[in-house]
Amino acid sequence: MISPEQYPVLIVVIPLLSAFLISILGGMDKRFCYPATLLALGGSLAAAVATLCLVADHGIIHYRMGGWAPPFGIEYVVDYLNALVLVVVVFVAFMAAIASKVSVEEELPHKIPQFYTLFVLLTTGLLGMTITGDAFNLYVLMEIAALTNYALIAMGRKRALMASFNYVVIGTMGACFYLLGVGHLYIMTGSLNMADILNILPHLYGTNAILVAAILMLMGAWIKMAFFPMHGWLPNAYTYAPSATSSLVAPLMTKVSVYIMIRVMFSVLGAVYVFKVLPVKELIVWLATAAIIAGSLFALAQKDFKKMLTYLIVAEVGYMVGGVWLATAQGITGAILHIVNDAVMTLCLFLFAAIVVHKTKGHQLSNLQGLFKKMPITMAAFAVGALSMIGVPPTAGFFSKWYLILGGIDAGQWQFVVALLFSSLVNAVLFFRIFEIAYYEPESAQHGHGESVAIDEAPLSMLLPLVVVAITIILLGLYSGEIVTTFIQHAVPAGI
Amino acid sequence: MIWQFDFLILALGVICALASISLKDLLSAAIVFGAYSFLMCLLWTEMGAVDVAFTEAAVGAGVSTVFFLAAVFHTSRIVQPRRRGRMLHKLVGLAAATGIGILLISATADFPNWANPNSPASTHLSPFYITETIPLTGVPNIVTSVLADFRGFDTMFETAVIFVAGLAVVSILGRYGRRLRDYEPSPVGEDVAHQSPIIQAACRIFVPFMQLFALYVVAHGHHSPGGGFQGGVILGASFILVAISYDLRVMQRRLQERRAMLFSSLGVLIYSGIGALCLLMGANFLDYSILHTILPATSPIMARSHGMLGVEVGVALTVMSIMVIIYVNVASYGKSDRGL
Repeated sequence: MISPEQYPVLIVVIPLLSAFLISILGGMDKRFCYPATLLALGGSLAAAVATLCLVADHGIIHYRMGGWAPPFGIEYVVDYLNALVLVVVVFVAFMAAIASKVSVEEELPHKIPQFYTLFVLLTTGLLGMTITGDAFNLYVLMEIAALTNYALIAMGRKRALMASFNYVVIGTMGACFYLLGVGHLYIMTGSLNMADILNILPHLYGTNAILVAAILMLMGAWIKMAFFPMHGWLPNAYTYAPSATSSLVAPLMTKVSVYIMIRVMFSVLGAVYVFKVLPVKELIVWLATAAIIAGSLFALAQKDFKKMLTYLIVAEVGYMVGGVWLATAQGITGAILHIVNDAVMTLCLFLFAAIVVHKTKGHQLSNLQGLFKKMPITMAAFAVGALSMIGVPPTAGFFSKWYLILGGIDAGQWQFVVALLFSSLVNAVLFFRIFEIAYYEPESAQHGHGESVAIDEAPLSMLLPLVVVAITIILLGLYSGEIVTTFIQHAVPAGI
Repeated sequence: MIWQFDFLILALGVICALASISLKDLLSAAIVFGAYSFLMCLLWTEMGAVDVAFTEAAVGAGVSTVFFLAAVFHTSRIVQPRRRGRMLHKLVGLAAATGIGILLISATADFPNWANPNSPASTHLSPFYITETIPLTGVPNIVTSVLADFRGFDTMFETAVIFVAGLAVVSILGRYGRRLRDYEPSPVGEDVAHQSPIIQAACRIFVPFMQLFALYVVAHGHHSPGGGFQGGVILGASFILVAISYDLRVMQRRLQERRAMLFSSLGVLIYSGIGALCLLMGANFLDYSILHTILPATSPIMARSHGMLGVEVGVALTVMSIMVIIYVNVASYGKSDRGL
């Protein structure tokens, strides 16, 4: 039997091997793809949860690839931060996979094996980026996640191709910046292992080369996460992507990029360097403030439901980046908690969008008319996600926003606090407008009032994950105290 | 290191780079870009990175130029002039590029000199690799042992990147499994005038040697520059050569696209499967030394060498099939017909 020391690598290896099996066997019989995808991601989820428990009990885990000691070989490091993110990533991917059955058969009937192979490889890439303790290995997995992502988006309808091409150009620049940054670090330190670099760096803090490396790596992460004003690629790419693609990438891509930013800041460059040596933390909180306000305002202007959600992602990225750069324990706690919460909330909204596309063949706001009567359970689950985006207790969104606001007050960055409150207000306006459309407006003008509408719920494979996700949002809210004390407080760097 | 020579290569490289982005004729741009890749290849040889130079020659100057040409053939040869002048975009772009350029140049002041034996890169990890490679892995080519063993986990994912690239092309362009309703004759007429007997005869003579050399590169990667990536690209190029001198159908009789897809998955599966086998036998993932218990007459050290050969074969299989798949789809616009 496989010993517990192997659990960390299993999180990545199970989906990796399965992806190639799906490609081979799915080419012979495409009915094989869906169950194999669920098995792969289910196995990975089990390994991730087991690893999380190990970390909670015994602390940080190191795993040596090929048995080589770091810094000569590649190592996996699972600490309190990425143990949590790993579970979130694979949970989101698993739920998105369950919900993908109907929409993939409907939108991509000829490309099912390719879709699921890329889907599982994308998840592998995201997991690999999260778990690794090697700065170059992170880049390789970033390539996997990015390439699969471009292809999955380009599989959508006509406009998806152009949106994906824009994303290819900008995303490649992001990855290229990150790689150049790693190259600078290698020239200066001779190492690629994150912990090793962190050890060597302090006597090089004054040099220009390290400054350039820091700028490049952070820019790379920001481009990848669509941090305002580098967000141009995101709205179209996520709007025109196939439904099953956007349920996977919209919740995860930006969140994993935020995780990478945190990893680069605290585990490669060092908290002392980014907060004390670099004089930029206030500037970045201002940028984050601009991201929140601009994202919210753009979202207000949209008539397309999916596009509105994509602009909300831009605003949420501002929450997390701002939270980290507040440089207070509360702010960083809030940002990390928000990675978890926002991934699940965004998944809820995009699963709902997939159902809307399936049922009404469109994703305009007008497609939502009369849905409360037709799909009461779906709408109830969506309402949980929406309330969490607004930040209503006891949903998860409230707690991370609370920490962020406390962090903003601690740091005396009042503009950030105001932006958070403004964004909550905008979210309230947006989602109550949707409730109004879905509750009061009849499906079309021809129907008279009082006419009874037959209940027409979403298919079970889409409804079940949505309901599970909605329940998870409430559970995350109720147990947020435990999450913070067991994991996140250990992930916040000491002495800031 | 001869600085005059390096300077000349670098200057030519910059000229080629500028030419390839400013040429309005995309066909010429692709060819100039190939020349640029070749100059980079020379530069890397000069730096002593022969394995990298080999890959650059095969991929950058070789097949990727063919891919560009095939793409140009199906889209447009001349850059369409924009009607609206986008002065603002150009200015912002110029400012951003200049800013990043200044940043990068400012950092070089802190770098150790070229070939400085006391630089961190030469003193931190390299001594271990140089002294321990043969005792620990039994492989004379240090590049291979770093690539396929010490950092073999990266290489596995690099192979997966190649696989994903091919799959992405198939998923965007590929039409197999779909009815060819919108079948249109390919842009070049189907007349035999394009089929030159001289080219075909040359190709017939050339291909066996190419493939033999490719297999040598794969198998001899432990002892000399080369390995799975380079060998796989050359193997793939031999198929592409057949497709160019005859047509796609003739090539597909040798290697069908469907079968190539199968091989490409199989190659990465061999790599990750060897890793998983080590894991199932109780060692860490990709720890080849445990394989000595199932390989006859090997020590744990030679098992590492054999494990590397195994994964290199997987790499070569994937790279070869993906090169073919990309060419077939780009050259035939996804229709897998006669092609260019």
